[in-house]
Amino acid sequence: MQIEMSQTQLPNGLRVYLKEIHTAPIVSLWIWYDIGARNEVPGKTGLSHWVEHMQFKGTKSMTGQDMDHAIARVGGYWNAFTSQDWTTYLETLPANHLDLALKIEADRMQNSLFDPEDVEMERTVILSEREGAENDPLFLLGEATEALAFQAHPYRNEVFGFQADIESLTRDDLYSHYKYYYQPQNARLCLAGDFHTSTVLSKIERLFGDIPSHQVKKNIPAPEGPITQAHHIELEGPGDAHFAEMVYRSPAADTDDFFAYTILDSLMAGPSSLNMFGSGAISNRTSRLYKSLVENEIVAGVFAGINATIDPGSYSFTLICRPDRSSEEVLKRFDEQIEDIRNGNIQKAELDRAVKQAKALFVYGADNITNQGFWLGYAPSFADYNWFLEYIERLQAVTSEQVIAIAQKYFSPNERVVGFYNPIKKG
Amino acid sequence: MTQTPQNLPHAGNILRTSFDNGSTLLAWHNSTSPAVVIQGLLSPGTVADTPGQYGLANLTTAMLMTGTRKHDFQALHEKIESLGASIHLQSGMLMSSFALQCLAEDLPTILDLLTEILSQPAFPEKHFARIQSQILTSLAIRAQDTAAMADEAFDRLLYQDHPFAHPSIGYAQDIMALSLDNLRAFHSDYFTPQNMIIAASGGLAPEELTKMVENTLGAWHKTAPKKQGELPEFFAPTISQRDHVVMEDKSQTDLIIGVLGPKTQGDDFQAASIGNNILGQFGMMGRVGETVREKAGLAYYVQSALGAGLGPTPWQVVAGVNPNNLDKAIALIKEELNKFISEPVTDEELEDSRAQAIGRLPLALESNTGITRSLLSMERYQLGLNHLRDLPDKLSAITAQDILTVARRYWNLDALIISSAGKEIA
Repeated sequence: MQIEMSQTQLPNGLRVYLKEIHTAPIVSLWIWYDIGARNEVPGKTGLSHWVEHMQFKGTKSMTGQDMDHAIARVGGYWNAFTSQDWTTYLETLPANHLDLALKIEADRMQNSLFDPEDVEMERTVILSEREGAENDPLFLLGEATEALAFQAHPYRNEVFGFQADIESLTRDDLYSHYKYYYQPQNARLCLAGDFHTSTVLSKIERLFGDIPSHQVKKNIPAPEGPITQAHHIELEGPGDAHFAEMVYRSPAADTDDFFAYTILDSLMAGPSSLNMFGSGAISNRTSRLYKSLVENEIVAGVFAGINATIDPGSYSFTLICRPDRSSEEVLKRFDEQIEDIRNGNIQKAELDRAVKQAKALFVYGADNITNQGFWLGYAPSFADYNWFLEYIERLQAVTSEQVIAIAQKYFSPNERVVGFYNPIKKG
Repeated sequence: MTQTPQNLPHAGNILRTSFDNGSTLLAWHNSTSPAVVIQGLLSPGTVADTPGQYGLANLTTAMLMTGTRKHDFQALHEKIESLGASIHLQSGMLMSSFALQCLAEDLPTILDLLTEILSQPAFPEKHFARIQSQILTSLAIRAQDTAAMADEAFDRLLYQDHPFAHPSIGYAQDIMALSLDNLRAFHSDYFTPQNMIIAASGGLAPEELTKMVENTLGAWHKTAPKKQGELPEFFAPTISQRDHVVMEDKSQTDLIIGVLGPKTQGDDFQAASIGNNILGQFGMMGRVGETVREKAGLAYYVQSALGAGLGPTPWQVVAGVNPNNLDKAIALIKEELNKFISEPVTDEELEDSRAQAIGRLPLALESNTGITRSLLSMERYQLGLNHLRDLPDKLSAITAQDILTVARRYWNLDALIISSAGKEIA
């Protein structure tokens, strides 16, 4: 059953996406700003992420606590996410309280305070967030390999930003970013759930229609082609667990290559789910790398995941290594699998399985209104909403020849980053 | 009468069936979903592990997924994954759990496989060393996780000689010493459908769903020769205890401050639940979030957590802080705890948290997974099939004095358990 989505644009440039779903008395409102870590410049990394935090600190008319408590009081929840390509804010709440979410988002699109004391307080919180991530060896390995996967493109940086930048960004940096990018021309309002389009649209016009807007110019980095050479790094750190990452270039989401790459991902390491919310995960025990590396006790685990990005990005295989296998052996056996698929060995049953799994994940994600709201804004961040609607169809159209061609194009041993994390034994 | 959301699962629309193998199914029809989720609980839990064999239940459960008498490892997973379905098994302290998800049209096949997995495991030799090694790797990864290490330290301090003091995953030296014969015997001795609880939600009529379960899980007949032992009586500690697990090179320290909490099925639980929400959940992590994160900027996360389960479960405040801020965070959390047991929560706080608990019911129940989770709780804790419908009235009756009473009953500030893991404390 395909549920219709309606799309419109207000005179001030705000793009509005509305999808009525009357299965539960719930609505999910998302506001997407087309600004993220991808648009940041050296010395100012982490700006988009920090601004996102400041959006929970209050406006002239409502404190952050007022907003927070108002949403919690009705049983709703709110959150925000900053990615490389975008920053987004959401409220999911009982449908009869939609006005509250609309009012908060209209207010904080233009009236957030960025109180200097709050800015300083949040600096510590963000440093804590980064420190929490640094506790994880896989974060450290990922940060190191991404830095090599791109020469200059900001995808090489973590969304948190570098510690030195977090320590030096000022309140003016944050507020200028907010005032310039947080306005209707640069935003999308997406709403899914139990409402009536005509009624809600007039409310949206009333609350958002008068917000002033201007054309936005932003730093658009030049997309990068293949990884320029074969990189190999070895990190050392605490612990007993060994990890490896093999990073390749991935295509931009709005390309035909992306769909064949998605099938390739599924064949190699199991299906990726692009759903941000909603249940549903399928194990990867029939994937090629699990069968060849895990079952043969070369590594303890393997996973990967493709991301839908505006520019060509990175795609990582993560291997949880066994202490009794050397890095050389792991890499050799991994490369045998890469070579096998590049040499054209694909069965029809593998393609059928990948498509069926994608369909199932699609269905599982649809039982969650928040996830439906997510897709209304996510797909247009790198393509348009039809990308989402046509996703399964485009996967079904992928042939084994296309998958082989994609493996040959992207999985070159000379255009990748290989990273190993080796624990240091104390004493 | 408090207003309740429509179409919640209740006695009138949940089909509850007891099968003659001792298991019980609660089925609910989610007419908008083309998929089905089934979750279940069965004996044994990891409390059946004995000294020298900690990790046996967990390893046995992991091995169940490596093949059955009819399907070897590849055939089993080919069947599951080619349908875009999933089957997960996990060991808990008191019971093992299973969860399956599939498209409704594939349910008979997936239920057959789940039944085979539980009742006819093959325990293939060729996969044993691999699974053993995977668990040891998980232990190695866990040993680098400050939150997990703080949690283990907390359990050791709180539970002392009680079986809950041991982590479900077990210990490396015990896991390495286990044999396939140990696993086969453990499965034969303890795994049983008796008292198994099954909850199902999805795009099939409850009668149809029930028939399918009856023909599969309901047709598994086995009486376990052994029963896991009764839990010893447990009393809350009477003195404060502190442990810090040194993990050098860690940027963040994880902290837990807690006590023994109320039983889920007891009279105190609902008042404690609302109190917990005020203490460290409401909005951006409640009172402790406001004090430690929002005002002092000391932590990325700080919140309270009320454990649920049939055994003795904790009531905790957890936080992730910079090592230099550890003492300050502990002091601020203690101040909040002192306030929590000294004065009643305000009318506004009480009203906010009650309203939230009632308002969020539709959100918690929008997915098949959320519904099956609720159905399992109803049966496991004997809450009754009308629990969700009656809950708003029960919550509305809770007073500030009720919360103060339970706060004082459990939060003995002279007997706090405090654990942390991270860099050495100066």
